[in-house]
Amino acid sequence: MEEAVMLAGKAIGAGLAMVGALGGGIGIGLSVGGAVQGMARNPDHTGTIQTNMILGVAFAEAVAIYALVVSLIILFVLS
Amino acid sequence: MTLNWSGKRRWIALILVLASAVVMFNWPPVVPVIQLPGEIYPTGEIFGLPITNTFAGSVVVWILILLLIRVVSSRRPRDGGEVPRGGFYNFFELAFEGLYGFIGGIAPERYLGPIFKMFMTIFLIVLLSNWLELIPGIDSIGFLHPHVHKAEGHYELLDGFDTATIGGVYYVNGQCPWVSPDEAATMSSEALQARAEAGCHSGIPAMAGEAGDAAAADDHADEATGDDHAEEIDYHHMEPGDPSVPWVILPYIRVPSTDLNMTLALALIAVAMVQVMGFRALGPGYLTKFFNFSTLFKSPLGGIDVAVGLLELIGEFARILSFAFRLLGNIFAGSILLFVMSFLVPVIVPWPFFLLEFFVGIIQAIVFGLLTAIFMSLATVSHHDDEHHEEAAAGAH
Repeated sequence: MEEAVMLAGKAIGAGLAMVGALGGGIGIGLSVGGAVQGMARNPDHTGTIQTNMILGVAFAEAVAIYALVVSLIILFVLS
Repeated sequence: MTLNWSGKRRWIALILVLASAVVMFNWPPVVPVIQLPGEIYPTGEIFGLPITNTFAGSVVVWILILLLIRVVSSRRPRDGGEVPRGGFYNFFELAFEGLYGFIGGIAPERYLGPIFKMFMTIFLIVLLSNWLELIPGIDSIGFLHPHVHKAEGHYELLDGFDTATIGGVYYVNGQCPWVSPDEAATMSSEALQARAEAGCHSGIPAMAGEAGDAAAADDHADEATGDDHAEEIDYHHMEPGDPSVPWVILPYIRVPSTDLNMTLALALIAVAMVQVMGFRALGPGYLTKFFNFSTLFKSPLGGIDVAVGLLELIGEFARILSFAFRLLGNIFAGSILLFVMSFLVPVIVPWPFFLLEFFVGIIQAIVFGLLTAIFMSLATVSHHDDEHHEEAAAGAH
């Protein structure tokens, strides 16, 4: 019983930690949307825009990855 | 060399798919034990430090990189000619020149050499260690190990599986989750019958009787003599196939990017090299980026510069964490995705996920190297230079 409660708590905690992925998703969507608009208006600068977009996506994604790491730690490291 | 997929190769591929389906239905895959730190080898130490399977993975990556250097340098035209030397060399040259141009658009021309070398080194190491997860057998072939957890001097048996053997090669039998004698006593007779038909060793009635008695005897002995007696069961040197303990697989090789030690080490090297680049370009003046007291008493807003410098200093340390966790999180999550997909539907369905992980591997390698290159080029620029340029531009007007 105690183990089951612990497992349930871990699962709930890991699920809640992944709420942090919300911000990363919004951020990546916004930055890629903006980059694609920029590329459509100014195809000559596709290379530069793409580089900066990948950078911005990596930064935005990092936040979601922190949430993922926290939830992985809750699931597999906490005992 | 051209690949002729219209001929007999497609039939070979089809036969392999069917064979894998047959194998998977007869010997179902087992969802592996997932743990974040690298699994420690049961035997062997280097300088008193335990060997982990992620370390073995990085040794594989080093060997692959050395092979790559060997192959590429042996095919390089020595007479200065530009005669193509076969597919792989040309492909590598194409990729190399593409990346060189890519970094050339970011880094200042004066420091392009060192920045590109750092980028390419990190790129190759990260790329090869990410792609290691795509090789079959990397995470699935390993030591058979009793799944026990040592807590407070007492061994606790965890979930695991029975083993089976084909011609001396042991494997974990996915149809038979391990049950302790106590659990077997509470199971219904139909369930036990089904387990016996599936060829399980633990928990079938005959075994349950003996093992139950033995376990009961052990329990009594434990109670009588305390925890000292429990130490005498040597879980690290048991015969494989012993049905009295749960077995799991401890892979020989695991993807090095799924170990925080490896990603943190790379991140520390990258951030340290950024500082080295800053000192090389700006000399001791690089430190004014972090400790900027020059305007403290000259300007009413001088305090802001001090605070901004401190924030920059904290930002340098945050970069280490963000480098390390970005790579770890992406690749660890990717390898769990591959495990779970291969466990749920072993045939056909995991293929698109392997393709996804192939691209994630490239993107993470490029992002790691690119961020290092960008931070290095930012470190070569003094923020005082901008002001001078602005003044010069204003003077020109």
